[in-house]
Amino acid sequence: MEKRTTAEVRDYASPEQQLYARWLDVGMKAGFAALIVTFLVHMFELLPPGIALEDLPRYWHLPVDEFIAMTGAPRGWTWVARLGEGDLLNFVGVAILGAVTILCYARVLPLFLRAGERVFAAICVAEIVVLIAAASGIFGAGH
Amino acid sequence: MRLVRLALLMAALLPATALAAEPSAVPWWLWPIALFAVTFLLGIVAVLGGIGGGVLFVPIVGSFFPFHLDFVRGAGLLLALSGALAAGPTLLRSGLASLRLAMPLALVGSITSIFGAMVGLALPTQLVQATLGATILLIAALMWRAKRSERPEVRAPDALGAALGMHGVFHDVATQADVDWRVHRTPVGLVLFAGIGFMAGMFGLGAGWANVPVLNLVMGAPLKVAVSTSGFLLSVIDTSAAWVYVNRGALLPMLVVPSILGMMLGARIGGRLLRTARAATVRRVVIALLIVAGGRALSKGLGVWN
Repeated sequence: MEKRTTAEVRDYASPEQQLYARWLDVGMKAGFAALIVTFLVHMFELLPPGIALEDLPRYWHLPVDEFIAMTGAPRGWTWVARLGEGDLLNFVGVAILGAVTILCYARVLPLFLRAGERVFAAICVAEIVVLIAAASGIFGAGH
Repeated sequence: MRLVRLALLMAALLPATALAAEPSAVPWWLWPIALFAVTFLLGIVAVLGGIGGGVLFVPIVGSFFPFHLDFVRGAGLLLALSGALAAGPTLLRSGLASLRLAMPLALVGSITSIFGAMVGLALPTQLVQATLGATILLIAALMWRAKRSERPEVRAPDALGAALGMHGVFHDVATQADVDWRVHRTPVGLVLFAGIGFMAGMFGLGAGWANVPVLNLVMGAPLKVAVSTSGFLLSVIDTSAAWVYVNRGALLPMLVVPSILGMMLGARIGGRLLRTARAATVRRVVIALLIVAGGRALSKGLGVWN
């Protein structure tokens, strides 16, 4: 079987798709690296956790509202102010993974605009707005 | 056969391990290890069965582990998101996944997944558990009956699909040929993706099990394009729902991180086993696992077997 070069393969992906892939690659790797490092910090208790590891099994069977009421775990973005707690440090990796798609859409938006592709530019903007709204906590931080 | 035995053993051991031990009597550090081991096996089975990990993870971990379903669904979304993000760059660069096909569908799905997540978090746990069980059993039935079409015939693209430029070319390595593709029934696809997004958010399942049939059988995308684009779609749809769970506080790192690592490692091994595994056997194992997990979730939700 004839082996295809990277350049040949890339012909099948549009420029915006290739750019999206590059940003996704970097963001995804950064997210996973942060997730693993912060989890090791948590497991080895290099930073004091908000909830002691040995106490967790007493709470993790509870619905999230009761869990938060019993443990004082954070809602919304309040974890940012408590990054000194080992367990909450893990939120950094999750936040990066959750932000990757927003950044990728934001990065390809100028390409659609430059190409005069108004519909896809509008879809891009709408998706960014939806994801930022979801990330902001207006849909989930309630009660 | 070894794979089948392994999966059956896993299915048999899960209830035994979780039920035999009183959760509070088990040292905390055993749970991340057990999660890693189980998700590692699920990762292998998921890849071999051609499904996302979330659809196996949520009912199995939600039914047989001590974590509340709120945290399991949040973890399920992050698990599906991680897999989709990891596979995304390769699929996009190869041209198998199509940004143009995915973007309009992802927008609809990501909006409805937010509402699905909100509804799922607002409903009583037992109701969610019972409907999750019923949904999983339905997915098992769909998998049992579902047909897939390598290259569906699309005589003419619909007006919306054509206007959005939902067409492309990919290189099929198996046949060493370039394949032109286009889609039809785009409005129907958009409506179905609204439903898929809602269910993904509500149950934390990811949505590969539904994405692929809709893209392939309804919209007429070639199977390889459908599978690859489904991965990209998951990365968008699950992001919006995952944020709802994270902001609500349904994020337990002890559950999320070992599960992601186990699933991704298992998926890598599963990818290597793909060449030698018998597809029909693996499919039966996946369906059996779904029936066991779905039945357990349903009975737990109905209060028949707690």
